[in-house]
Amino acid sequence: MSNRDLLLRGSRAGLLAAVVAALIGGGATRAWGWQQSAPEWAVEAAKTPTPATVGDAAAVVLFDEYVITVDKQDHAVERERIAVRILKPQGRQYSHCSIGYDVDEKLNSFRSWTIASDGQQFQAKDTDFTDHGAYDAPILQFTERIRTVTPPASDPGAVVACETEEHLRPYMDEEEWDIQSSIPIVREALELDLPAGGHYAESWRKFTPVAPTETADNHLRWEIKDMPALDLENIHAAPAWGALAARMSVKWGDAAVKGTQEQWRELGVWQDALEDHRADATPEITAKAKELTAGAPDLYTKLSRITEYIQKNIRYFAVERGIGGWQAHYAADIYSNRYGDCKDKTTLLIAMLSSVGIQAHYLHVDSRRGVIDPTEPSLYGNHMITAIELPEGENDPRLAARVKAANGKTLLIFDPTDEETPVGLIRGQLQGAYGNLANGADSQVLQMPVLSPDLGGTVSKGTFTLTADGTITGDVHQVFSGDDATSARASIKEYDAKELHERIEQSVGVDLPNLTFKGFEFAHTDELARPLDMDMHLSAANYSHISGPLLLLRPRVLGSLARTANDVMAGKPRAYPIELGHPGRWHDSFDISIPAGYVVDETPDPVDLDLGFASYKSHVTANGGLLHYERDYVVKDVETPAAKAADFRKLENAILEDERGTAVLKKQ
Amino acid sequence: MRTRLVLSFLVLCFISLLTVPANSQLQRRAQFQQPTDEELKMTSDPKAPGADAVFLNVEEYDNDPSHYRSYYVRIKVLTEKGKELSTVVIPYVNDNFIHIVNVKARTIHPDGTEIPLDDKVIQNRLNQKPKDRTTDGVMLDLPEVEVGSILEYQYDINFNTYAALPPYWQIQRSYLVRKEHFQFAPEDVFVPGRKLKQYLQDRRGRTINSLLWWYKLPDGVQVQYNPSGYYSVDLNDIPPAPDEEWMPPSQSVLMKVQFYYSYSSSPQQFWANEGKEWSTSVDQFAQPSKAIHDVVNKLIAPTDKEKEKAKKLYVAVEALDNTDYSRRRTESEMKRLKMQEVLSAIDVWNQKSGNSEEIAMLYLAMARAAGLQAYAVKVVPRSLGAFDLSYMSIGQLRDTLVMVSIDGTPKVLDPGEKMCPFGSMNWRHSGAGGLHQDANGIGPETTPRQDYSQNTVDRAGDITVDAHGAVTGQIRVVMTGQESLMWRQAAIENDEAELKKLYDQTLENILPEGVVGHIDHFVGLTDPDSSLLAVVNVSGTMGAATAKRLILPGTFFEARERVPFVKQEKRLTPVDMQYGDVVSDEITYHLPDGMKLEGIPADTRVPWAGHATYALKFISEPGTVTVARGLSRAFDVLQADDYDKLRGFYQKIAAADQQQLVLTTAAPAGSGN
Repeated sequence: MSNRDLLLRGSRAGLLAAVVAALIGGGATRAWGWQQSAPEWAVEAAKTPTPATVGDAAAVVLFDEYVITVDKQDHAVERERIAVRILKPQGRQYSHCSIGYDVDEKLNSFRSWTIASDGQQFQAKDTDFTDHGAYDAPILQFTERIRTVTPPASDPGAVVACETEEHLRPYMDEEEWDIQSSIPIVREALELDLPAGGHYAESWRKFTPVAPTETADNHLRWEIKDMPALDLENIHAAPAWGALAARMSVKWGDAAVKGTQEQWRELGVWQDALEDHRADATPEITAKAKELTAGAPDLYTKLSRITEYIQKNIRYFAVERGIGGWQAHYAADIYSNRYGDCKDKTTLLIAMLSSVGIQAHYLHVDSRRGVIDPTEPSLYGNHMITAIELPEGENDPRLAARVKAANGKTLLIFDPTDEETPVGLIRGQLQGAYGNLANGADSQVLQMPVLSPDLGGTVSKGTFTLTADGTITGDVHQVFSGDDATSARASIKEYDAKELHERIEQSVGVDLPNLTFKGFEFAHTDELARPLDMDMHLSAANYSHISGPLLLLRPRVLGSLARTANDVMAGKPRAYPIELGHPGRWHDSFDISIPAGYVVDETPDPVDLDLGFASYKSHVTANGGLLHYERDYVVKDVETPAAKAADFRKLENAILEDERGTAVLKKQ
Repeated sequence: MRTRLVLSFLVLCFISLLTVPANSQLQRRAQFQQPTDEELKMTSDPKAPGADAVFLNVEEYDNDPSHYRSYYVRIKVLTEKGKELSTVVIPYVNDNFIHIVNVKARTIHPDGTEIPLDDKVIQNRLNQKPKDRTTDGVMLDLPEVEVGSILEYQYDINFNTYAALPPYWQIQRSYLVRKEHFQFAPEDVFVPGRKLKQYLQDRRGRTINSLLWWYKLPDGVQVQYNPSGYYSVDLNDIPPAPDEEWMPPSQSVLMKVQFYYSYSSSPQQFWANEGKEWSTSVDQFAQPSKAIHDVVNKLIAPTDKEKEKAKKLYVAVEALDNTDYSRRRTESEMKRLKMQEVLSAIDVWNQKSGNSEEIAMLYLAMARAAGLQAYAVKVVPRSLGAFDLSYMSIGQLRDTLVMVSIDGTPKVLDPGEKMCPFGSMNWRHSGAGGLHQDANGIGPETTPRQDYSQNTVDRAGDITVDAHGAVTGQIRVVMTGQESLMWRQAAIENDEAELKKLYDQTLENILPEGVVGHIDHFVGLTDPDSSLLAVVNVSGTMGAATAKRLILPGTFFEARERVPFVKQEKRLTPVDMQYGDVVSDEITYHLPDGMKLEGIPADTRVPWAGHATYALKFISEPGTVTVARGLSRAFDVLQADDYDKLRGFYQKIAAADQQQLVLTTAAPAGSGN
């Protein structure tokens, strides 16, 4: 049940979402004892035949059982037993049981056995286990570690069984049961052993709830059989794996209230209490906030001065020990250190805003849209951002990323960890996603807004001259807004001038293979509130091709708006929504002076398509010696349902065909 | 076994007597310095245009008699990205062996304001318990760093040990280094004129008597000896480490100085000794014992000719489980299966399993038992670097090959390379330097370079096109040499379904946009001696259709593939394309009814004498047009001096590959078709 650990740890999601970790939930620091023979439960599990339904899976989980024992203090110990059959050579990776542990998540035991296809049994020794830090980036200083076993005799046909036991974090009353994996599961179960008088709450997502059986007093068991794999390997433009996978959340103790909204509220209250006084402003913080906002003519200016201060001056640097994965540092420390992780940045922002009379709250989210599900209250998530209360009647259109809370207040959503997106906007990954607002009794789950297409995208204007030998020369001016500006600014920050030159050159070179890239200039790089401008200067030999008396050229000189989704394009049945990226408007306008002595004989047909979730228009005109290409592409949503796959295919085919469109010039 | 060699080299030498440092007057460490006005105000460096940062100073002081090292770095941050350098990782941790001391760090703002890193923070980090540590070292984060800041830090390492640890000087960094100073005081025994009060031994008990260094330095720069008893190098304006496509292994191109102690100062003597020891250990392992003879006698017939014997034995060892491609058995598994540590060739045979090295040695033993003249060859794989006789380290040699005399002609074989056909080699082992055994003893060896014509990819197919550019067809890809070896090895680690997925992914990069390819089946996947055939079905839409024309890419596979070198004007490092090859395409387009070629591109031939040849030919017949393209590249490595010619060659290829075919529905005026 590793996914509970994802909270507030952006990069950890990738690591623990690895199949191995997703399969295994327990762990320990030593292989206790020595028992060459596999235990009875493992032997029994190994007798399970491989169902025909596994298809071409590389491995199959035969049995996976969690037992959570809760004591009177609501502290819990979790034991997991899992047995995996390796079906193919590449399936060995699924047998490498792995578990994270921490200073407050102590491991009691971790053992592993292999039952080979010929029946021989092996037990992993201490030397077969390895430990390493959960993260290796220097900016991520965590106490969490991971223990992994390389099981003996892990060959196709073998069954690897692992048993782990660990104390769950004492301050948590919730576990996530990841009932789906990237390989099939034949039989899985969760048992909850509560103390006398104990109670629980459960919620499910992407799966029809299963009723528990009470096998003893206050001992419940949920069991699921034949869970199919969720394999997105060849599914293109799919939502995040975690957004589609089935899971169940079980709560006990104070967290186990009845009702979905009530559970969300309880989680928010818990988070609020955890951060109590963390966001208290010190005199220095207050002075800085007042200094920044002095003379600000309006709320937007006030907000942007503070948010930009944090974006530019508080470096992302995470130092987390145990509960530090969930609890922010004090605002005073963050301010004096000038660094922090996502919840630290939110903490300092809340403190600075409160200093100037603006209320703000923690908003717990996941950077992968769809992972947080309103129907399944849980602490699942990997990121913390800020919800800022806007005064009634505040209608500044620049403050676009706003949402109405259940208490009637308007909240502006802002991510202070995102150093490139200005206040008022949120990047595409967050748009339409859910988050858990921590605001005392007004805590709730809320959906972040999907922004207007007018707030994102790129406008490109190019002027080119084509010579008779096929060389094209010209300048392109581009204006990036919203997510496109965010991405471009992130690249400017990430790469040095040489790397940036190479990357832009490489990107343009896809369309212009014989490119001579003469250079580029950015404008308004540091002014987050303004669109980002870029000018490019280029030429490319052999852009047009001579074919007898004809000269062939592509009016769409550069830039592609097509999205690769091979499965959709191939007409395969689609079960999952199609990700569209982010809302926006992309407009290209290119003028090409054609060489003297040539006339335009033929141009590509115009395109005009509106499919609801997106529209695309394009046309080419010839006027004397000038060829003009113009197109407008508008994306109105962040994703479209699987039922619209045919429309998506129609759109992409139209874009691809238009982008390949060739104008034919004829020698006079 | 490979790892052990490297580690043993690093462990190196042990001092047998305590030593009193005679060079105590030496400068032990750098001092923090006041930045100049120019340094404070600088926003860029003309010698590194666009750089995110510049190293102003790098200094390292290494002292073996006193068992310490001292490091000092000063950096100017020029952009936001340059701020990343404010996270410093000291690549050591405090333990019984190592003590990190004298740690200081500060940030200096452009206005001269100094912000020291709090000593409490430093001590907390130094005292961090292993379980709380997530990086292999001690991490420091310099305070309040902004664009324009100067970052300055230093630390010393004290080694509580009798081991001598001569330094490796990293000359090139991620950004330009304005000024570098390295200094190394070796054990007194290596200071000329000093009286011997001590001696050093290596792990085999041999007396160490030479201090040597392996280096790559800019022209005119040398390691200097100072009479005070130390060696030093001073450098200015060192460019960043190069990063170019098709670059040789970094070991071959990065500037460096690697000091080491040796029992010998003569490469000839060293390699004679080391070679002898290596050869002895090979002969011990690969002893053609009676048990080996018994095995061999069952595999070959007395009447077999030498080549038949060599090949039968080769096939037999290739069939064993090569654990470098499958899975190394764990210790517990070995014990459970009552398997023993492999000590000799017969152990490998009996266990039907071994790593590449062990299997190569088994082959050597079997060849000898079969009466063949066979010797071991140990090389530096070309993927790692080049063999350097001046660097007296046997550890540079990694992979074992076997040289067998067949009918009087020596042939280098690669039995440790799974699925490698008899007589061939992995490219990493061709043209690779190392040592060989032979009847006369030990000598340097460079394995034969592979004939480029052995590595071929032939792609032929028929594509049916309709008037709107919709295409269907089948392509047959026949591979020999390196390409087939790669896919056969991948087939060991994956089942065929997974292999097909991997192959389909490679097709995505080479098929025209709008066209998808799926492999139908492989032929010859498990037979290394045959060509490997991949049959691929393609479909989709390609080209551009207008009201009266259909325009198709002239070349089917290169429409989307990026031609290398075209954009890079200047070259710093040699070009290493790993192996030469011949790629031939012949695609026949079956044209839609009523359409015919309106324009046909000119045939192209681009010769590059002695290096490569490119040819593109269009053959038009009623209802079809066939595009034949061939690129033969006879070279694998080129010096940077030849780069202009190389680039010119590929520029011509890029231009030719982009030609297009124009089909038309009406007979255009003036067309000859």
